[in-house]
Amino acid sequence: MSQVKPTARTIIAARDVDKHFGAFHALKQVSATFREGEVTAIIGPSGSGKSTFLRTLNRLEAHDTGSIVIDGIELNDDLKNLDAIRREVGMVFQSFNLFSHLSILKNITLAPMRVRKMSAADAEAKALALLDRVGLKAHAHKYPVQLSGGQQQRVAIARALAMDPKVLLFDEPTSALDPEMVNEVLAVMRELAHTGITMLVVTHEMGFAREVADRVIFFDHGTILEDSTPQDFFNNPAHERAKSFLTQVRHGF
Amino acid sequence: MNWSKQNPGWTMFAAMLGLLAFLWGLAIPLSAAPDPIGPAAQQFAEGARITVWLTVVSGIIGIVLGVLAGIGRMSSIAPLRWLCAFYVWIFRGTPLLLQILFVWLAAPQFLPDALQPSDFACAIIALSLNIGAYNTECVRAGILAVPHGQIEAARALGLSPVQTFIDIMLPQSMRVALPALANNLASLVKDSSLAYAISVVELTMVGYRVQAESYQPIPVFLTVALIYLILTTAFTTLTSALETQLDVGRKR
Repeated sequence: MSQVKPTARTIIAARDVDKHFGAFHALKQVSATFREGEVTAIIGPSGSGKSTFLRTLNRLEAHDTGSIVIDGIELNDDLKNLDAIRREVGMVFQSFNLFSHLSILKNITLAPMRVRKMSAADAEAKALALLDRVGLKAHAHKYPVQLSGGQQQRVAIARALAMDPKVLLFDEPTSALDPEMVNEVLAVMRELAHTGITMLVVTHEMGFAREVADRVIFFDHGTILEDSTPQDFFNNPAHERAKSFLTQVRHGF
Repeated sequence: MNWSKQNPGWTMFAAMLGLLAFLWGLAIPLSAAPDPIGPAAQQFAEGARITVWLTVVSGIIGIVLGVLAGIGRMSSIAPLRWLCAFYVWIFRGTPLLLQILFVWLAAPQFLPDALQPSDFACAIIALSLNIGAYNTECVRAGILAVPHGQIEAARALGLSPVQTFIDIMLPQSMRVALPALANNLASLVKDSSLAYAISVVELTMVGYRVQAESYQPIPVFLTVALIYLILTTAFTTLTSALETQLDVGRKR
């Protein structure tokens, strides 16, 4: 578990966030704050709103009402604010979403060069250092399709890190992977959790949530049902819904 | 084919050189041919050059039109979307020959004397607008084929909508659109023959004239057909090499 100082400042503050998809009420008045350096596992049944909540935090989904403030910047229709927030918030997707027409190296250097206006030489040096960190330096000149799913996801993490984000959002980062590739991605995430970066991880990996997270949030029907430490959540869940979910997950696989 | 797949850059270069050599040198082998081809060798060569010019110039303008209108078809601004859909509707729904005749006969009526286009320019305008309409739909299909996750990833990294379009969407959509665009270009080589109707002396017109003088349609039109085949082969080699070049990200 990473060590979050009790005095750490709030980096994400979501208040009464509401979101509909047509008639479907995806998020119901969700409020939560996250402190700098905190690693939060967000779990819950599918359709519970956990991914939607994560995606509102960098406005891949725009929330209907309520407010989201990230690092002191209000997330709204103001494009300047949005650009500023997206520079600080990285995201790792379930299906990796590496740019299929670019080499691994170019996948990582693109955003620092375009958004941070970094020189090509600096961006490449940084990309190679990050690839080294996720153990893929030798693959820098390959294309995404030439890598396994686990390798692609590690590249996707390196790509997000290249922007030096303060917050990293993970949207089910291991759900699309073959079982034997899950661990290599979790190992990278585990290592990241100790670096002091703020992580929000939507996941079905209960082992990871229990071992690495500082905090567990349980979503159900568009609301946060439980918000506690991993010990409390896994040993004494307060709600019947969380208990039955945990039983399902433990015996379901 | 295997060699050209492995060396797309060289294949493009070779096809380009072959096309140029063919155009400049065409008169030499043809002049050695028996009557009625030999004496008209220079005319055939000149006609082939005009056909290639018509194809290359209206092909390039047609790509630009297709990309612009293809983007316009996907625009969030409704009137722009309607305008581009209207353009495609008109030019795909009427005969090319009619479009060529319209430009040739109508342009003089609403343009001042100083701006009167030549016959050649009229053919270019009509051919470009026509192929541009077909290209629009290919480009639109290409844009629709870019997975949404690619765009989300670019936006999440902080790229602006314009950067996302130029760096991610355009290259990926062109890779999908290219086979269809190449198909349109091959059609254009042959469609350019309709310019004969407005007295542009391209390859088909040359063939028509030579057979009218010699009363020997069989050798004359066979020669014309052969030259068209060589031209379309050169163009398709060029575009398929380009396809292989752009396909690099999908290679295993």
